[in-house]
Amino acid sequence: MAVAKMKKVYIIGHQTEKDCTLGLLQRMAVMEITDLQGKAAAAAAWAESLDYDGEQESLYELEGRLNEMRFALDFLGRHFPEKKGFLSSLEDNRKPLGLGEFNSQAEGWEQEAQVVYKELRRIDEKLMSLRNDETRLQNIRTMLQPWNGLAAPLQEIRTTTQVCLELGILSIEEGDSFRAALASAAPESFLEEAYADRTELYLMIAYAASSSETVKEALKPFSFNRQDFNSLQGTPAENLVRIEDELKCIAEQRQALLDEVKIQVVSRSLLNQYSDYLVMERDKKQLLSNLARTSNAFVIEGWVREKELPDLEQKLAVNCNTVLSIAREPEGEEQFPVALENPPFAAPFEFITSLYGTPHHRGLDPTFALTPFFVAFFGICMSDAGYGVIITVLGALMLWKANLGQNARRVFRIVVACGVSTIIFGALIGGWFGGLIPIRPLFFDAMADPMRMLIYALAIGIFQIFVGMGLMFYRNAREGKWMDAVSDQLFWALFLAGLIMLAFPQLSAVARVLAYGAAAGLLLTQGRGQKGIFKKFGAGLFALYNTTGYLGDILSYSRLLALGLATSVIATSINMLALMLGGSPIGIVLMVIMLIGGHIFNLVINILGAYVHSSRLQYLEFFNRFFEGGGRPFKPFKMNTNYVHVTLE
Amino acid sequence: MELGLALGLLGAAAATLLAGIGSAIGIGIAGSTAAGVISEDPDKFGLTIVLCALPGTQGIYGLIMGFLILFRTGIMAGDILPLTIAQGLGLLFAALPVGFVGWFSAIYQGKASAAAIQTIAKRPEEFGKAMIYPVMVETYAVFALLMSIMIFMFLPL
Repeated sequence: MAVAKMKKVYIIGHQTEKDCTLGLLQRMAVMEITDLQGKAAAAAAWAESLDYDGEQESLYELEGRLNEMRFALDFLGRHFPEKKGFLSSLEDNRKPLGLGEFNSQAEGWEQEAQVVYKELRRIDEKLMSLRNDETRLQNIRTMLQPWNGLAAPLQEIRTTTQVCLELGILSIEEGDSFRAALASAAPESFLEEAYADRTELYLMIAYAASSSETVKEALKPFSFNRQDFNSLQGTPAENLVRIEDELKCIAEQRQALLDEVKIQVVSRSLLNQYSDYLVMERDKKQLLSNLARTSNAFVIEGWVREKELPDLEQKLAVNCNTVLSIAREPEGEEQFPVALENPPFAAPFEFITSLYGTPHHRGLDPTFALTPFFVAFFGICMSDAGYGVIITVLGALMLWKANLGQNARRVFRIVVACGVSTIIFGALIGGWFGGLIPIRPLFFDAMADPMRMLIYALAIGIFQIFVGMGLMFYRNAREGKWMDAVSDQLFWALFLAGLIMLAFPQLSAVARVLAYGAAAGLLLTQGRGQKGIFKKFGAGLFALYNTTGYLGDILSYSRLLALGLATSVIATSINMLALMLGGSPIGIVLMVIMLIGGHIFNLVINILGAYVHSSRLQYLEFFNRFFEGGGRPFKPFKMNTNYVHVTLE
Repeated sequence: MELGLALGLLGAAAATLLAGIGSAIGIGIAGSTAAGVISEDPDKFGLTIVLCALPGTQGIYGLIMGFLILFRTGIMAGDILPLTIAQGLGLLFAALPVGFVGWFSAIYQGKASAAAIQTIAKRPEEFGKAMIYPVMVETYAVFALLMSIMIFMFLPL
């Protein structure tokens, strides 16, 4: 229930065992490795004995191969997308492999993967060239289509010594004036309209070569856009038929190529596994630039959980001959990465903490303390046992049936805990599907007596705030800051306790003593950071104003009542509306649809509300009292694989 | 129909329509930002949908209050409660907190949600923190709902 104790570990060994050591660390995933070369550059004493690592070349090579595999997988995925189930993003279906098996298989994968890659590359190039041809043909087809009616073979539309023949497109408004201009410039000329659409005319003109200069001059003012199909043989209609045939042929070729791709789809899992192998090798090589090395030895520096250190030392001793490890405690102000350690029932809730942030390395881990509150708040906000059963069953099914990844497993453990809590609080103060199953609440009906529920909600809030202050008191005391512990937490707690007790007449005498005494204490101590008697006193006085802050925080817990009521009211409304539909057979069908749809809707929006507000009460009202963030999460060097899991042995 | 009943119905209408207007605007603001983020990274759909749904709760709170008032007047069951003008006004007043606070808080929550969506577009790991700001706005809608329900529950009819 705390921030894990960390040890700084140095591992020193002979160059020949560098790879095996890193491999072991990668598979164990217990050590966060720090960048020594950056540091070493600063410390001259180290720098002299260090060599620059010559492994860059092989790193580039690995990156290159990884890119090839990514291309191959991407290419396969583009043409034959992998079918992914609803759960695939949550599941962990990595194939477990022993190290020996993994390494021996990797060689086989490498050769096969290269063959597949080259094949796919070849197909890709062909597909691209087909695509280019296709585009070119389609362009010509679009240009030729309007000329379909032209009977002349295209190779004859040209300029000879006697005659100029030209094809061109003209805006339809210019038609008449164009005819006139052509006729006056070259009286012996000829004009044929091959085609006309709404805006343009497609014209063929012919005139004597001798008058070509005057014609050109006369036609200049017009938007006559000359078309050139010199490279084509035969009439436009013949050409169009030929292009259609060629396009059909291209489509057939493409299909043939895709069939070839399809054959390679079976290699997908091989490519995936080989990519995983490359990623692991690449990560190791990348890390090398973080190590300090001399010509014969290497040094790895990093952080290891105290708990996991003996295991690491033992495995290093077994697997490597020359490797030596030295561990030490973090020094004074030295910042170490933060890992959280909690008993199994609270561990999943580290997820809730991590969504807010990582605790300070010398601070408190709030996970253990927030677990019961989060679960209870969720249950109170939902407060319907029927919904609780649904949540619990769905969560349990996921944990039981689906092969969940580590994070997803945590989330669904939270879901089950919250579901059970919803059943409990639903049965105590709520109902079953908004009263659809008429079971009376075991404790009292929060909807019938909201005042009572409000008082309980605020009481839970006061309790949580006191727990928060208690945690800060503990932290201050642990660090020897007794003055802070007493004045910032104890006085405040007593003062608030006194104020609350004032509400009960029979306690008023004790309450007054407590409230006044603690207020005096606050007045005297809250300004202790200030200089001068007036400033000290003023700050103390002003601090009492913080009472409103505490009051606001406590009132904030009234949301527990409001959200619980919201669930019940909507559920009841759905039932009432649905039951009104019943009567005729169609009405009963509608009623059932309304009940199912309505309750699913209510369930979903209330899960959203319950989750969001339960989190908020932790993050703001609770964490405010004691939480200090700013820690750096512990990121051990590990396997970043998606398809293969290399086991330790 | 008595004026008292009409005032009660006005309350049911006001709670639903004012809060509903706000939620529609709020989700509109958050949704258009979310759609932009999705265009860059469709995987963030799951995170953004939570933030988009937040300004929707006010409309639901309004609906809750509307239903409560409708049920109380008895017009759905067919035996209408004889309401005096004062009682009708009481029902109308009960609708006001959730109606007006819902209206405005949903719009501002929509803006806070849109900003939070932009935060998780860049730093999805900070979802927990980003979510808090819109939820802080939500507080006042919850308070308003609470006060509406309290007035409603303790209204002598």
